[in-house]
Amino acid sequence: MHALAAVIVVLSLAASPAAAQSATKGRPSLRTPWGDPDLQGLWTNATLTPFERPRELADKQTLSAEEAAAFEKQTLQARDADRREGAGADADLALAYNQFWYDRGTKVVSTRRTSLVVDPPDGRVPALTSEGQRRADARAVARRSSPADGPEDRPLAERCILWPTAGPPMLPSGYNNNYQILQTPTHVAILIEMIHDVRIIPLDGRPHASPHIRQWLGDSRGRWEGHTLVVTTTNYRNDTSFRGSSENLRLTERFTRVDAETINYEFTVDDPATFTKSWTAAIPMTKAEGPIFEYACHEGNYGMTNLLSGARAEEKNR
Amino acid sequence: MRAKLILVLAGVGLMCAAVPLRAHHAFAAEFDAQKPIKLEGTVTKVEWINPHAWIHIDVKRPDGKVEEWMIEGGTPNTLFRRGVTKNSLPIGTVIVVDGYQAKDGTLKGNGRDLTFKDGRKLFIGSTGTGAPNDPAESPR
Amino acid sequence: MRHRIRGAIVASAAAVAAATFSLAVIPTAGQGPAIYKAPRSAFKDGKPDVNGIWQANNTANWDIQDHAARQGPILELGAAFSVPAGLGVVEGNDIPYQPWAAAKKKENAANWLKLDPEIKCYMPGVPRAAYMPYPFQIVQTPTQILMAYEFASASRTIYMNSTDESPADTWMGWSRGRWDGDTLVVDVTSFNDQTWFDRAGNFHSEALHVVERYTPVSRDVLQYEATIEDPKVFTRPWKISMPLYRRVEKNAQLLEYKCVEFVEELMYGHLRKKTR
Repeated sequence: MHALAAVIVVLSLAASPAAAQSATKGRPSLRTPWGDPDLQGLWTNATLTPFERPRELADKQTLSAEEAAAFEKQTLQARDADRREGAGADADLALAYNQFWYDRGTKVVSTRRTSLVVDPPDGRVPALTSEGQRRADARAVARRSSPADGPEDRPLAERCILWPTAGPPMLPSGYNNNYQILQTPTHVAILIEMIHDVRIIPLDGRPHASPHIRQWLGDSRGRWEGHTLVVTTTNYRNDTSFRGSSENLRLTERFTRVDAETINYEFTVDDPATFTKSWTAAIPMTKAEGPIFEYACHEGNYGMTNLLSGARAEEKNR
Repeated sequence: MRAKLILVLAGVGLMCAAVPLRAHHAFAAEFDAQKPIKLEGTVTKVEWINPHAWIHIDVKRPDGKVEEWMIEGGTPNTLFRRGVTKNSLPIGTVIVVDGYQAKDGTLKGNGRDLTFKDGRKLFIGSTGTGAPNDPAESPR
Repeated sequence: MRHRIRGAIVASAAAVAAATFSLAVIPTAGQGPAIYKAPRSAFKDGKPDVNGIWQANNTANWDIQDHAARQGPILELGAAFSVPAGLGVVEGNDIPYQPWAAAKKKENAANWLKLDPEIKCYMPGVPRAAYMPYPFQIVQTPTQILMAYEFASASRTIYMNSTDESPADTWMGWSRGRWDGDTLVVDVTSFNDQTWFDRAGNFHSEALHVVERYTPVSRDVLQYEATIEDPKVFTRPWKISMPLYRRVEKNAQLLEYKCVEFVEELMYGHLRKKTR
């Protein structure tokens, strides 16, 4: 497909059939009783579209309908956790359990873009700065040398502190990719299934919290720009690492309700200490059945006990 | 060329998930790939909890001794959205567990494959919709 | 004669004054004295707006019954962490335990440090979440009301006018809400048996059933009541009540107290790799 055609496909994202019915291209037809665009509902961001474009695809921005259908079929088959033939024991163990426990989506994004990263145009996260690379290398060394000395060596999800589905940015994961959005004139609230986090974003223009306040989810402020909710997040802790990000990460998310079934969710990462340039990804949120169920993680985290106990047993047996 | 492209794209599915399932490296940390297990046991308790459900089973060994095992599953929330409830796996049900034993040697295993004695997988076609409630099935 | 006329004039003046005064608040039929009428929700559904950040200001989290001041469990924390005296929030100050349960409560209290789920940063359940010493925020829509608690980033959704049931037992219960005049009534079931009512060891089983009532009584106060029923533990239902105060600071917001990171050493330290 010509690059121009691909660009046209990407730009026509907003003009899905349902949205075309409203008076103006891209304008959401749903508003709250006080007149703000309505983002409310139960949404999922599960998708088969990869985060970064595979290098083999080079400049190919979108798949044809036929390619997308083939890709979906092959991906679902390849990922089916109930397929165990040929996998070695380690690979088999890593798949963990039956397919019925997973819920990773069954479709690529409706634009058939080849990656969730939309800028830079090659669909890949920009290179790290030398400082960013140094931090990444240090983390890799630490993971190898002390993978399980104590709980703080484990990923935040295993510690039941934070899941990538919460972020922000909010990314799909293996299951429970569900978000409930509620709105008032003064706040937008996003309930994230894992780990029962609630982002309550004030819309009244107040400044961010003082730099002394550092949070796992950062500190978010929202404002309406036309039909789009723009949310900026700062005040990250230095150990909330999003793809290697630093505590100076400034995240800008944009939520635009484009039709009854879809919110276009886009985020831009600004972290000059880590990435050589800003970059942007778009992950559509689509209406989901739900409901969200309680995900009480820390309260039932036998896994942490087991993995630490397992590591100590392995050391003894060496 | 097209066939090659499709093969490349299929490979993508394995390599480039939107978020790598790093959380499941926890299973490699908890359980030992060199200690496969295959157990048949009677359900005595089910903990419908997160981050992982746990199914407790009594396993009768050839020498007559009964061992109490705990088998780890996934998040029950995905099952709940398919109509499964805390009553869907009654105490006394016989299940077969194919998996790997805990690294620390305790009577725990991951439920890599959970079936009934007749080979049917657990939780498929149970009360409720049976088929997954797939949110991504909305029309393009 | 003059007396009677003056008396009549005074009486009617008083009646007029009373009538004028009572127009500032709206009397509600069948509820006795006139009550405050909160502004209405921006959703234009005629319901009171209970959005905001709220917090209890009492010692109920220490002990929901009347209690004297007493020594705390950690010597080094001295007066910073001994137990203050407090007036209880239990109607009649009596928690009607079955005999076995009264004994278990005493055992819980004696082993508080080991057994209180709060210490392990577990979600506090209902009603304890309402009177933890941390704020919580209400986000209100006609179909769902979200309550986000600062402690442990706990949260729960109240499904309005719903008959849905929970598939399993939970820490924060399953909440179905409705409006009774200007009172939000929340019916909560499907609890597990893991939470406590306070640090004094008051507990329940998975049969717990709580009915809460949140009533705006002034711009910055909600009157909170909860009726507690658990046929496995208590001999009859019983009730707690307290005011919840609005956090009126400019730019008030919930901050993070995930607290898991503060208890990992406590819970997993014995499994840490030993360094020589």
